[in-house]
Amino acid sequence: MFVFTKMTQIPVKINNKNPRLASYILSQYGGPDGELGASLRYLSQRFAQTEKSGIALLTDIGTEELGHLEMIGSIVTQLTKGEGAKSFDRYGVGDYYIDHANAVYPASASGVPFSAAYMQSKADPIADIMEDMAAEQKARATYDNILRMCDDPDVTNVIRYLREREVVHFQRFGELLDILQSKIK
Amino acid sequence: MASNMNMSVQQLMRRVSEALFYVTDLNLYLDTHPDDTKALRMFAEASANAKACVEAFESRYYPLYATSADCSDSWEWLVGTWPSQKMQ
Repeated sequence: MFVFTKMTQIPVKINNKNPRLASYILSQYGGPDGELGASLRYLSQRFAQTEKSGIALLTDIGTEELGHLEMIGSIVTQLTKGEGAKSFDRYGVGDYYIDHANAVYPASASGVPFSAAYMQSKADPIADIMEDMAAEQKARATYDNILRMCDDPDVTNVIRYLREREVVHFQRFGELLDILQSKIK
Repeated sequence: MASNMNMSVQQLMRRVSEALFYVTDLNLYLDTHPDDTKALRMFAEASANAKACVEAFESRYYPLYATSADCSDSWEWLVGTWPSQKMQ
């Protein structure tokens, strides 16, 4: 089960408004390499894991990714709080405003709604962990793209932190792959 | 180290988030290194420290876990900054 903690992993405090930046960052909420896909991927794959370290790692990283999903939602909310239709339009994201106004909706930066087709769950530990390692790199690359677009230090601080966590997760999944492969031999 | 009583809500929250982050990171490491005795010792220390930091925060400011909410008068769980909000 899960226990909610009323805080984010690091504080999210964004002072400036920028609906366009919010729409880019939203991709890490419900986009192809976002935190929703990451958490669902790991939390689903763990049911087929038999190795204890595999069950634990997928559960624990999947849980951390849910916390990251919340942080992304918080950034998007704070970047758009109080901004109206005209502001969204000026920032070039009037189309998002028409469908969702100031809400957080799981979609990619290009507006495609979240899909479970972004992830797999194969009951094959090697196939699953290989996918997870690739997923961490794709998420890291997406955070790199966001950092290239973003010059608000309140936002880049949090994005750099989340990017770094993907690198750590990649490392841990690599160690798990070694453990699984050593059991096969 | 500044005493808890002199710390603002933001300072004390930062201390909680650092302490819990250390626990999370060691937790992931131990999942793939369950016999690393040095890491096990570090986890025990980090875990005790995080518990103390959470208790200090909750007794001074507001509940981080629903089970910590005071319900003698009204539902204290509603109090405080939620993750979607900006801490003032």
